[in-house]
Amino acid sequence: MGRSQIELLVIYQDIHLMLQDTEKEEANIGFSMEGKEKLLQAKKEMEKNIDIRFLSAYKRLATRFKHPIVPVQDGTCLGCFAKLPTSFSARGRADQTIFTCEQCGRMLYWVE
Amino acid sequence: MNQRERAGVFQQEFFMSALKSKTKPDVLEEMVEVLVRTGRVKNKRIVLEAIQQREVLGSTGIGKEVAIPHCRTLAVSSLCVVFGRSKKGIAYGSIDKKPVKLLFLVVGPPIEKTNQYLPLLGRLCERLHHAKTRNRLLEAEDYKSFLEIMEGGE
Ligand SMILES: [Zn+2]
Repeated sequence: MGRSQIELLVIYQDIHLMLQDTEKEEANIGFSMEGKEKLLQAKKEMEKNIDIRFLSAYKRLATRFKHPIVPVQDGTCLGCFAKLPTSFSARGRADQTIFTCEQCGRMLYWVE
Repeated sequence: MNQRERAGVFQQEFFMSALKSKTKPDVLEEMVEVLVRTGRVKNKRIVLEAIQQREVLGSTGIGKEVAIPHCRTLAVSSLCVVFGRSKKGIAYGSIDKKPVKLLFLVVGPPIEKTNQYLPLLGRLCERLHHAKTRNRLLEAEDYKSFLEIMEGGE
């Protein structure tokens, strides 16, 4: 099933953070992590399906922020807490385009 | 696990005493479906994929008939735990190769003010390490008894 660009990017970021959690999960909780290489590979594979413009924008943001994509809650960017223009939210949910916060530049994801 | 720790995390609607699924992919979907039905998850595809990708890292079937599938994903806005039970057991690729009967699906947002996610996973593992807890969970008749088991002393 076709996934939108923002969906792919969200999963991409989820996997990225997952890989960052591995040490804590292994050392503090005791989960086995033998598939780390496999997941790194899967993450690389995903890049093929992400539009190069979005992927490079994501990677640029990743050098500055831990979370290049942030959720929008009550019309607010949860990265920098700037209020987003109201016209933004309606568009963000309907479109396949990727919206970025005018204040901090992070990509936005409407959870609700 | 005290009341504050589980506040809003466990819910009556997230108590599944008799799972229908017989396979790992099916049971993960069945449990995520509950979060969709209760409005906690809008985008099922993202959550399901994140959970499946987490399994690539290593099976969350921790042995002794217990599995704790989990992930952090942008597609949820609050931490939630779904409890599922299968008396017949589900083939899950657990570390001890045994089918699982008790499942806890833990899904949380990546940004979380109270930072509960990893500590909660740790507490669950610790709890489920005790045979007594597992046996009681296998028998728990309703959500109320489930909560008592989860909140009770060691
Ligand atoms: Zn912002």
